[in-house]
Amino acid sequence: MSAWLPLGFAQPWLLLGLLALPAVWWLLRITPPAPMRRPFPPAAILARLASREDTPAHTPLWLLLLRMAILALLVLAASGPVWNPQPLLAGAETVVLVVDDGFETAADWSARLRTLEALLARADREGREAVLVTTAPARAGIRIVRGRPARLRALARELAPRPWPADRRATARALAGLEIGDAEVHWLLSPWTVPGEGAEAVAELAARLRRLGPLTVYRPGGPPPVWLVPPAEPGVPRVRAERAVAGPAATVTAVAFGPEGEGLARVTLAFAEGERVAEAALDLPLEMRNRIARLELAGIPGAASVVLFDERWRRRVVGLFGARAGGEDQPLLSDLHYVARALAPWAEIRRGDLDRLLAGPVSVMVLADVGRLPEAEVARLRTWIERGGVVLRFAGPRLAAGGDALLPVRLRRGERTLGAALTWSRPLAFAPFPEDGPFAGLAVDPQVRVRRQVLAEPSPELAAHTLAALEDGTPVVTGRRLGRGWLLLVHTTANPTWSDLALSRMFLDMLRRVLDLAAGSGGPVRGPLVADRILDGFGRLRPAPAGLAPVEAAARGRRPVGPDFPPGLWRPAGREGAAAVAVNLQDTVRTLLPALPRNADRVRGLVAEVERPLAPWLFAAALLLALVDLAASLRLRGLLPAGTATVVLVLVLSGPSAAGAQPLPDPAVLAAETRFAWVRTGIPEVDRKSEAGLRGLSLILALRTAVEPADPVGVDPARDELALFPLLYWPVPPEHPDLAPGTLERVQRYLDRGGMILFDTGDAGLLLPGESGGGPGERRFRELFGELDLPPLEPVPSDHALTRAFYLLRDFPGRFIGLPLWVDRPRPGVNDGVSSVLIGGHDWAGAWAIDELGEPLFPVVPGGEHQREMARRFGVNLAMYALTGNYKTDQVHVPAILERLGQ
Amino acid sequence: MWPRPHEPHRAARRVAAERLGERLPPLLVEAERVAASVAPGLHGRRRTGLGETFWQYRPYQPGDDVRSIDWRASARSDRHRFVRENEWEAAQSVWIWCDASPSMAYRGPGVREDKRARAELLALALAVLLIRGGERVALLGSGRRPAGGRFGLERFTADLLEGGGPTDSLPPEVPLPRFARLVLISDFLVEPRALERRVAVHAARGIAGSALALWDPSEVELPFSGRVLFEDPEGRARALVGRVEEVRGRYRALLAAHREELRERLARCRCTLALHRTDQPAASGLLALTRMLDPRAGGRGGGP
Repeated sequence: MSAWLPLGFAQPWLLLGLLALPAVWWLLRITPPAPMRRPFPPAAILARLASREDTPAHTPLWLLLLRMAILALLVLAASGPVWNPQPLLAGAETVVLVVDDGFETAADWSARLRTLEALLARADREGREAVLVTTAPARAGIRIVRGRPARLRALARELAPRPWPADRRATARALAGLEIGDAEVHWLLSPWTVPGEGAEAVAELAARLRRLGPLTVYRPGGPPPVWLVPPAEPGVPRVRAERAVAGPAATVTAVAFGPEGEGLARVTLAFAEGERVAEAALDLPLEMRNRIARLELAGIPGAASVVLFDERWRRRVVGLFGARAGGEDQPLLSDLHYVARALAPWAEIRRGDLDRLLAGPVSVMVLADVGRLPEAEVARLRTWIERGGVVLRFAGPRLAAGGDALLPVRLRRGERTLGAALTWSRPLAFAPFPEDGPFAGLAVDPQVRVRRQVLAEPSPELAAHTLAALEDGTPVVTGRRLGRGWLLLVHTTANPTWSDLALSRMFLDMLRRVLDLAAGSGGPVRGPLVADRILDGFGRLRPAPAGLAPVEAAARGRRPVGPDFPPGLWRPAGREGAAAVAVNLQDTVRTLLPALPRNADRVRGLVAEVERPLAPWLFAAALLLALVDLAASLRLRGLLPAGTATVVLVLVLSGPSAAGAQPLPDPAVLAAETRFAWVRTGIPEVDRKSEAGLRGLSLILALRTAVEPADPVGVDPARDELALFPLLYWPVPPEHPDLAPGTLERVQRYLDRGGMILFDTGDAGLLLPGESGGGPGERRFRELFGELDLPPLEPVPSDHALTRAFYLLRDFPGRFIGLPLWVDRPRPGVNDGVSSVLIGGHDWAGAWAIDELGEPLFPVVPGGEHQREMARRFGVNLAMYALTGNYKTDQVHVPAILERLGQ
Repeated sequence: MWPRPHEPHRAARRVAAERLGERLPPLLVEAERVAASVAPGLHGRRRTGLGETFWQYRPYQPGDDVRSIDWRASARSDRHRFVRENEWEAAQSVWIWCDASPSMAYRGPGVREDKRARAELLALALAVLLIRGGERVALLGSGRRPAGGRFGLERFTADLLEGGGPTDSLPPEVPLPRFARLVLISDFLVEPRALERRVAVHAARGIAGSALALWDPSEVELPFSGRVLFEDPEGRARALVGRVEEVRGRYRALLAAHREELRERLARCRCTLALHRTDQPAASGLLALTRMLDPRAGGRGGGP
């Protein structure tokens, strides 16, 4: 291990072999290379010369150096050099490896894994036994695996962070039963703890580990963990991220995604220096906000960087309607003022008369102290409720004076007054909410008193409709399901005249629950939830594992996430189609506290790079040089003509790179069958997609049409003959490399002679909703092909042959939609009036792409499989257009021709 | 060992040789001497003798064979009886030696033919020319008498190509009839003195010789480089040269000296020397040979 190079040797004493090099140098020098033997009749004449010519033939210097290099490489390789050697292990028989794999470790998981790998590799080399302990509980508890390091290495590669916090206390308990003799302990630490666990648990585990053997702690060096805080209000007006400790200024980017995975918005959150919290407003229209299904911190993997959204965050529209709605001059006495203020963070408030409100998209209608509605309006409201609306009525003097038919229970005329000067009774508080009602689980504020209320007519079913009652059992909120909606009545006022309800926190909670009843949310979630898709430790949604027990909905937000209750999307059991419920890690884990055990024997950083044994490389280099030496020796002895030697050398040296380039097959082979080609961009993922896309399209064509194209090929327009292909698919991503000189001319020639190219900028996937052009791919396209001599372009006209070449199409979706498809205006007399260039950005290859099993490779947004089908149809039309030209346009004239024939 | 190039079929090689020979006029060897031992041939000796071509009539003298009287000519004269005399015709006999030693099997880099193949081609072409010119030809060392005509050519070809003869690098010491001609084709990478001794034996019998030194271009140029161990295919010498490029100049000088010594020593034995490289066209080698055999042919032969 030297100080200036991360290089170490397994057998350093073998390096002494290098001392022998000078001796070998001398030996090689005085031993000339074997001469070339050559029969030569006048040898006798030469013999007379040679006797005088006695210069010793030296090995040429370069050959000498070459051989010395080979020898030095061999010596170096034999001494077992290791790049980035890790002075990892002490001498104990058993190596105990404790890995913290709580949610906060996802950000530096690769370093953690590298360290683990390095430790296991070292333990493997040295033949130790290993014990692997992960501190985040699995469903079967804390995992402790004991075995040969080689087996554990395979296991370690499968390790992933858990989307829940570690439980160091449970780990310490689990380790208590472990019998290990001579051990050393390595703890890949996460120096953070959740409040529920606490620093004491970390210290306890450290103490337990020290009892096993000397403890080495590896602590990560990166910035403190950052997590997203789930927004409290629906509609996600603001995005908020926190970090575990304040530090230097930093920025993170939060990205909002819609239900289909489409990007909706991107917002930058800046942590000021010394601040723990960063916040930014999200500027989106309401409809977009309601689409947000997932918010995540870009580039920071982990369950804490992701917030999943469900119906609770949908911002609903609430219509307010009250008799005295216009009392703006005395807002505190207004019936609706308190409701409006209470709902403002959660919902969009609309006011107006019933007609106007019902015309718009309203989820909840609040009617405050509306006495008697006209019959027609009652009927309209009733049908609206039956279609899923929620009507919340508040009582008041007018309702007390006489209600209409739109009430959940029959009311007695007049109201009940509690605690007035002439009554014995005191104002009453709320009784606990019934467990099966929409307000189940809400805490009752004992300070809320109801002084006056309207009374329901006693009836047998009154209890069933009572959603909240006073201490004495008098119903104070009643409700009834009508069709798919709800009709609710609060038996007191929406302002503080009859009760304190409107001034309490409980009022807010109850209103929110009412909002939850509104259409789309499926009502309050009750009963058991089953996992639908769960987040993995890196914050990706995965199918839920089998065997997760259902969890009571009420536990949401109270029960900490863990192996039995992983974060993710849960679904009410037995209710197909019900909206999923988001369970976020941050519901219960709200902060992280630093926790660094003080009693470690040694503290190290995580391994930045895996140690790499260099011996194989050195041996390979020595072998290569030996081949060169062999060729050179043969050449010197004349056994190998110069040309052959060079060829051999070039082959040896360029072998790997030569294998990478795939020249096109023989043109005769290519031309034997119809096939389409895609242009190699040199960007591997783009090329893979193009290839898979055209393969998918070829398959579709073979299945549905008479065209049975051969396998598509990738071409390099700078080099390969393009004329063999009727259609080129040319992806132009923003990172498309520059064109080789002369390419443009070749492309121009190809187009001029009847070729067809579909340029695909893929912009539709990069643009934000609302933008319809000017994307990065389009800009790159302009840079690359600006000098191409193209006829004027136009969006595909509705009577273009492309719209009817096989299927009848109106638009041309790909993996994305939203951009026009541009086509050069057919010029009469040129190319038979067939367009030669199509430019769009829908990422068609992405929609066509299939894997080896014929399964689609990429999701199609926003239209799903229907849109993919349309994309395939576009592909079929495109291929038909490329192959048959304007043949279908001719069909347009068929009626005219028939008519003429008939005459 | 480097493989010899594809050995062409015997007949094919003769055809090649004949084709080469066709491009030169029939070779007439200057007969310098007339000797009784020489069998009658096609070349008139400008005197009476045994032959088939009419030379002159002369009056009958007593002692002449009666059968030699030409009665038809005699009948035209009233006084004399004439004896018909033919011109004395004698064919030159040419002995060709083609080096068959292992060193002849050498072929340098980038050369199409080894020396042996070229030597055989030239020998055969020469034989074709000579036989067409009416001479008699024999392969030195084959132990046969010279022969002409179709049969002679067949036999010569067989002797030359079927091998089995001596593979010495020096011409064999076979006693030859006087006034024969000797043609030596070899690389002459031997001790010039030893060669002189062999040739001198023939010279003493009045036999003139022509020698064609046949070299591979790489033997002349020494185009190699680096550290090379040169081995004589006949195992007589090895030379380890550290840096061939350094000795190239001196080697060429030595080779030139060797050539001059050869030329000088052969000249003493009435033997001329010409040089031929296997990268040159074969016809130029044949031309060199014909020029040596018949100085008059020089102007007519023309290049290939």
